[in-house]
Amino acid sequence: MLSLRESVVGIAEDVSAGRASAVEVTRESLARIRERDGKIGAFLEVSEELALEEARAVDARVAAGESPPLAGVPIAVKDNMWVEGRGATCASRILEGFRPPEDATAILRLRQAGAVVVGKTNLDEFAMGSSTENSAFHVTRNPWDLKRIPGGSSGGSAAAVSARMVAGALGSDTGGSIRQPGACCGVVGFKPTYGRVSRYGLVAFGSSLDQIGPLTRSVADAARLYSVMAGQDPRDSTSASLPVGRPEATLETGIRGKRVGFLIEAEAEGLDPRIAANLGEAREAFASAGAELTTVSIPRAPYAIAIYYVIASAEASSNLARFDGIRYGPRRAEDDLLAVYLANRTAGFGPEVKRRILLGTFALAAGYYEAYYGRAMRAREMLRRDFDRAFTQVDVIVCPSVPAPAFRLGEKVDDPLNMYLSDIFTVPASLSGVPAISVPSGFSPDGLPLAIQILAPSFGEELLFCAARAFERQIGFPDRMPPGLDAASR
Amino acid sequence: MPSNSSPVSPDVVRKVAALARLSVPEEDLPVFAQQLARIVSYIDQLNELPEEHAAGAQVPATPLRADEPGPCFGKETLERNARLLHGHGVVPRVVGSG
Repeated sequence: MLSLRESVVGIAEDVSAGRASAVEVTRESLARIRERDGKIGAFLEVSEELALEEARAVDARVAAGESPPLAGVPIAVKDNMWVEGRGATCASRILEGFRPPEDATAILRLRQAGAVVVGKTNLDEFAMGSSTENSAFHVTRNPWDLKRIPGGSSGGSAAAVSARMVAGALGSDTGGSIRQPGACCGVVGFKPTYGRVSRYGLVAFGSSLDQIGPLTRSVADAARLYSVMAGQDPRDSTSASLPVGRPEATLETGIRGKRVGFLIEAEAEGLDPRIAANLGEAREAFASAGAELTTVSIPRAPYAIAIYYVIASAEASSNLARFDGIRYGPRRAEDDLLAVYLANRTAGFGPEVKRRILLGTFALAAGYYEAYYGRAMRAREMLRRDFDRAFTQVDVIVCPSVPAPAFRLGEKVDDPLNMYLSDIFTVPASLSGVPAISVPSGFSPDGLPLAIQILAPSFGEELLFCAARAFERQIGFPDRMPPGLDAASR
Repeated sequence: MPSNSSPVSPDVVRKVAALARLSVPEEDLPVFAQQLARIVSYIDQLNELPEEHAAGAQVPATPLRADEPGPCFGKETLERNARLLHGHGVVPRVVGSG
């Protein structure tokens, strides 16, 4: 095996400088997938030939004098994004066999920057879930404990990075689907401000919430992938025209004198003792970095799950109406149009997707609309105002990423509401649109990864990365390997 | 089981499923109703939330781009996902035979 530097930034530097070739790095990544993914199940599709072809093209660019910022970096992509030449099943039977017509904008930008897509990763069907158990194809296991969930819905991407099969991966985050699996698998998970990264080519779940973002082993790697993907796209009218800035250039500037507000409502939730103890250590780390510590309140945060499950489900019920058995995937013929819809949708969607469609349809139905959707929309606006007020008092907000470390496979599968509560600390940022990052913050006494979450004002990614890096520097870069991988990779 | 005051009963699930173009087998209706009733009961905590004056849902309008023709996917791209016949995509029959 090559002795790769195993980071996005390190690989790009090595390939650009000629110390390694993109083909060598890609081969190593593919070998690791072959060796490790049988136990973990992070991937739905691995495209060896296409990846090597792309790697050869990157090597040719480097030989011609180019130094693209992601030269030869192997990445994995959640299977709800379009990558030309690969499938895009969203882990659903209803999209089996669908071939995307082109790359998602985020993918196109990564490839132009020299990244090599090695495969598509598992997820909860249509990104609806917090454990990756809702995939129609197979479950994904947490590399730190194979009996536990990797989080979700981007569980395949988080597990692939955690098990060092790829240097970085893309996830999508609607209510925490990048940050929560990042936390469960001990990797960095970053959700940009709503509008920062184009959603073109991301299969829609909750259109007012969805964002694409990176999962990586370090904050610097996340900043590199984000810098390449971010920026306005004429093909997504909700993408923002504001300048992206240069988060990598300001990454090491520290947070001395910055006001770091610990979220009062998070600590009132009756925290798992392992999370509470870790939050205390995080407080010390921020203090050591020179930050001014305080507390801050988002009074409507405890209502965020209730707001989220109305709005996200309503948007999902509308977005998923397009899967009608005519335009995508397997097509079952019946005697009339209604029968075609019923047969294909009933056979094609799994139980959780059906539950969300039913909930969303209920919330939007005449007679219930005002009591559920209307009320939730007004509550969302109040939550946004809470964040506006909070960010006049502090520069960044800190809270746990998850209410407890990764739970056991099957533990919550029959209890949807309990599963939804896994997102309690991630949905507030989703509803208000602000950027948020989950950063590894140590391990529980039982050896499970722990993480804290940092939130910044909308379009404040430079400050957010800076705070995350300052914290990471205090905690120390997590060199610990998931058990069972040590001998294989060192 | 759903409480008497819950708006979600097996009958409501049957109606909502029809609106959503899903068919839920009769034997599964009670389970879906029970799960949804529990979720809806949790969501009902929003009723306790005092609404601020003028806290209307201020959803920003989606900016629109100019309506100009641009390149579109060619025939080869379309053929990846649908069989073409005489230049048209073939879809399942949707009109009754009788």
